[in-house]
Amino acid sequence: MKDIARQSMSIKVESMDMLNGQIKMEAHASAIYLAMASWCEQNGFFTSAKFFYKQTEEEREHMMKIFKFLVDTGGSPISPEISNINHDYSSIVDVFESTLEHEVKVTTSIHNIVKKARELGDITTERFLDWFVMEQVEEENTIRDILDMIQVTGTEGVGLQMIDNQVANWID
Amino acid sequence: MELIYQSKYYTLYQAEKERRFYIDFGQKSIPMNLCQLIALRHKVMSISIEDHFDSDLNKHGFEVLLLCNKEHLFILNTLEILDLKELVEHGFSALGIAATKQIASV
Ligand SMILES: [Fe+2]
Ligand SMILES: [Fe+2]
Repeated sequence: MKDIARQSMSIKVESMDMLNGQIKMEAHASAIYLAMASWCEQNGFFTSAKFFYKQTEEEREHMMKIFKFLVDTGGSPISPEISNINHDYSSIVDVFESTLEHEVKVTTSIHNIVKKARELGDITTERFLDWFVMEQVEEENTIRDILDMIQVTGTEGVGLQMIDNQVANWID
Repeated sequence: MELIYQSKYYTLYQAEKERRFYIDFGQKSIPMNLCQLIALRHKVMSISIEDHFDSDLNKHGFEVLLLCNKEHLFILNTLEILDLKELVEHGFSALGIAATKQIASV
């Protein structure tokens, strides 16, 4: 019997399902960061807004990277449905703390897919995710650095405006 | 055509020369390429069987299934959906592009 299915598809369907889940998560992240950009614009944190415009684009790129991988491997990428985007934040500190929290969730999700791909013997998917594992290290580190800067600067007096100005250091 | 997997109501075949698959639904047999088979899997797996036991969520206990870019339409009841879920699950394992049950449940 010829292995027509295997010849048409080079990853496991379970990996495809998990990667479709990750596509949704990246799209969700992109939407969250756009909402944060909106919050920053409305509250006078214009440099931070720029930072989140960049983040929203990056998350969209992550999503497309997975989308194209599914195409390349013969899988079926699913365009995700996104809803329930929070637009309320109590402060700029809240915005960045939420960002870190969200990035940690993304990291966990990617690690879980790596582990399951390994269990499935799906080396292709495991290797593909290497880039994402390292990208998450960088993203988490960026947000941690910004939170450290916030801590050092302090939020009293002109602190908030200084914080916003310094965010420019993390926009290439 | 080789038989890949047979559930109570449905049968999945592979037609090697045509490089495609057939699902025998009883009333009719439908040819599908792998993409269409994956799309079927996605639709079947997305059906919430729990809704069938809640008259607010699914009043009549039926699902409408549109296949192959709306070429075919099926109306299936709860038992048929459960059976189709089984066919899809075991069929993909038998085709060698899904984990065997053992690993999947870990
Ligand atoms: Fe991402
Ligand atoms: Fe991210």
